[in-house]
Amino acid sequence: MAKISQPPMSGQLVDQLTSQASDQLSGPPTGGDDARLETLLKNLPGMAYRCLNLKHWPMDFVSDGCFELCGYHRHEIESQQVLWGDFTHPDMIDEVDRKVRNATESGQPFEVEYRIIARNGQEKWVWERGRAVDRRSDGVVILEGLITDITDRKLTEAALVGAEAYAQAIVESALDAVISIDNGGAIESFNQAASSMFGYRSDEIRGQHCRSLAATSFYREFDRYFQRSQTPAKGFPGARANSLELNGCDKYDNEFPIVLSMREILDVGEKKYVILIRDLTEQRRTEKEVREQRDMLAHVDRLNTLGEMAAGIAHEINQPLTAISMYAQSGLRFLRRQNPQLQRLEDALEKLSQQAHRAGAVIERMQEMTRPHQSHQEVVAAEQLLREVHELAEVDAQIRNFIIVLRLDDELPSVNCDPVQIQQVILNLLRNGMESMRANHCKPGSKIILQARTSATQVRISIIDDGLGVSRKLEKKLYQPFATTKASGMGLGLSISRSIISAHGGQIEFSNNKARGATFSFGLTRHSD
Amino acid sequence: MSKLNSQQLVYVIDDDEAVRDSMGMLLESADLAYRCFSSADSFFAAHDGSQRGCLVLDIRMPGMTGLELQQKLAQIGSSLPIIFITGHGDVPMAVEAMRQGALDFLRKPVNEENFLERIMHALDLESGNWHQKLDRDQAQQRVESLTERERQVFLLVAQGLANKAVASQLGISERTVEVHRAQVMKKLDARTLAQLVRIHLQSE
Repeated sequence: MAKISQPPMSGQLVDQLTSQASDQLSGPPTGGDDARLETLLKNLPGMAYRCLNLKHWPMDFVSDGCFELCGYHRHEIESQQVLWGDFTHPDMIDEVDRKVRNATESGQPFEVEYRIIARNGQEKWVWERGRAVDRRSDGVVILEGLITDITDRKLTEAALVGAEAYAQAIVESALDAVISIDNGGAIESFNQAASSMFGYRSDEIRGQHCRSLAATSFYREFDRYFQRSQTPAKGFPGARANSLELNGCDKYDNEFPIVLSMREILDVGEKKYVILIRDLTEQRRTEKEVREQRDMLAHVDRLNTLGEMAAGIAHEINQPLTAISMYAQSGLRFLRRQNPQLQRLEDALEKLSQQAHRAGAVIERMQEMTRPHQSHQEVVAAEQLLREVHELAEVDAQIRNFIIVLRLDDELPSVNCDPVQIQQVILNLLRNGMESMRANHCKPGSKIILQARTSATQVRISIIDDGLGVSRKLEKKLYQPFATTKASGMGLGLSISRSIISAHGGQIEFSNNKARGATFSFGLTRHSD
Repeated sequence: MSKLNSQQLVYVIDDDEAVRDSMGMLLESADLAYRCFSSADSFFAAHDGSQRGCLVLDIRMPGMTGLELQQKLAQIGSSLPIIFITGHGDVPMAVEAMRQGALDFLRKPVNEENFLERIMHALDLESGNWHQKLDRDQAQQRVESLTERERQVFLLVAQGLANKAVASQLGISERTVEVHRAQVMKKLDARTLAQLVRIHLQSE
């Protein structure tokens, strides 16, 4: 055995290997043990060494791993043509030196991680463990140890740290509240957005049940959602639950609309969840503005439509007025006779009264259309809705000498809609159809069809005209506001009709008929009771 | 009123039931006989030339319009006076109706006194027309009963020629002219030359 060798430390492979390797220095391996040792050294992940603890650590033994590690051959290092310190990264050499010195002075093994620069210039991270094993006669300490390439591990570590910081940065800079909770619902983390949304500092809210972020009136709904999210459907852990819209409640008891979604965090150990919450206040305000604007435009369009229908409306009111006046005059004449005819007077008065109601009903219908109107959905009998708008449109049809044919399925169901706005849409479509029929030189008495068909979920309303149809050129401009083919008219009708129908969750569809004319249609959702 | 003929009717043609019915009642209250039709088509189908009276016609109706009915009646030589009832924006149509010979037009809602007045006027007019037509028809019938020679004598005498001049134009004797002339006066139920001349004008 070599004279400078130390007995191997039990259980420390590195020490054992290095000490065995150092034996080799003192002579060629002999017998089976030495051959095995040689094989072991060759397969070692790294390089075993023995050196003097002098500047740049001159080495008098290295294992074959040195080539892979730093790109120099064993003989180049052992002949000390190159020193280990030449490879050590200049930024770190002092630190390594200090650590080694400290350890050896206190008789402890040392462990350092540092960078080296290999022969080809490549930087590598290495891990080194060694210890002082002896002292030369001049007092210089002899070190033995193992150096291993840990570049891969370092890169992975760096990536992990980066990923975590990245995730953290996302969570903290997110516009939505991001909250993590434990299996019982207690809040574990609360990001910046959550703090500004709910007014709590992260340390104030930690540990509280997440339910406290909901308005009390929504507790039950929230709990149900929480439970459902904890037992994801179809056995997919982490399967995304649907979102829940509710009112949230901040630290100062202000309620505001939010939407939240919860999902399981895939993690070992106890189940955890993350809850994302978005403040809907702004969105709701925008929606309200859009709705109000649509209502206002719709009102303008209705007024405009009625303006265009003025002649028809005047006619419609003039008829009962004419009758009223004549019945009244007849009644007077029956009364003023020498033998007053009271029976005929009574007849006249009765009929007069009916006609007054008739005129009133016309005005009532018009008023419904002219009143400013806040859109709202209600349950409406489809048949009544259609019959009413049919009467209204008749005013226009009479003036144009066309006939509106009502073609309704038996027993039409109730629908969910805003009746005033839907009637406005139908009126618009009927008037457009008749306009197109006039442009197509349809004969007096030509028919336009107002049709309603029932399906499982809908009542589909179609307006089938005999007009020019929709040309490709027209198709592009069809819904453009202020684009019109009429000499008079604002061109608002179709674009408003479309926005009304889309607010009802549908869309206006059109197609050209086989023979001539076009069909416009849309669906209204059946009311389910 | 004096000349009101019991055969005369006021024909009310309007698609609006209430307007029709109230107009009927007003006519009834003025003791005028009337008949209502709900469309121009149904009146035209019922018309056979024997109708007497006048028409109260809504200018705007589905199907055949008032104006179209006026034209069709004119084509078959009807002389029934027509009073149009018009709505608010129908003045251009009313003007057209007047151009085509309508008696009058009234706007809805109508002034009842005025309305009845116009109706009476229309009925008087129609009555006068009718009597004129009746006289004309009679004169024509009588003229047709003359022989060829009598007719020749009648035409010349009615133009104011003396017997002598008639005789010379026709190449017959004055005496013969006298005989024919007496026969003509008898057949045409005319006692004076003036009456003879009027019958000639009516029969033209």
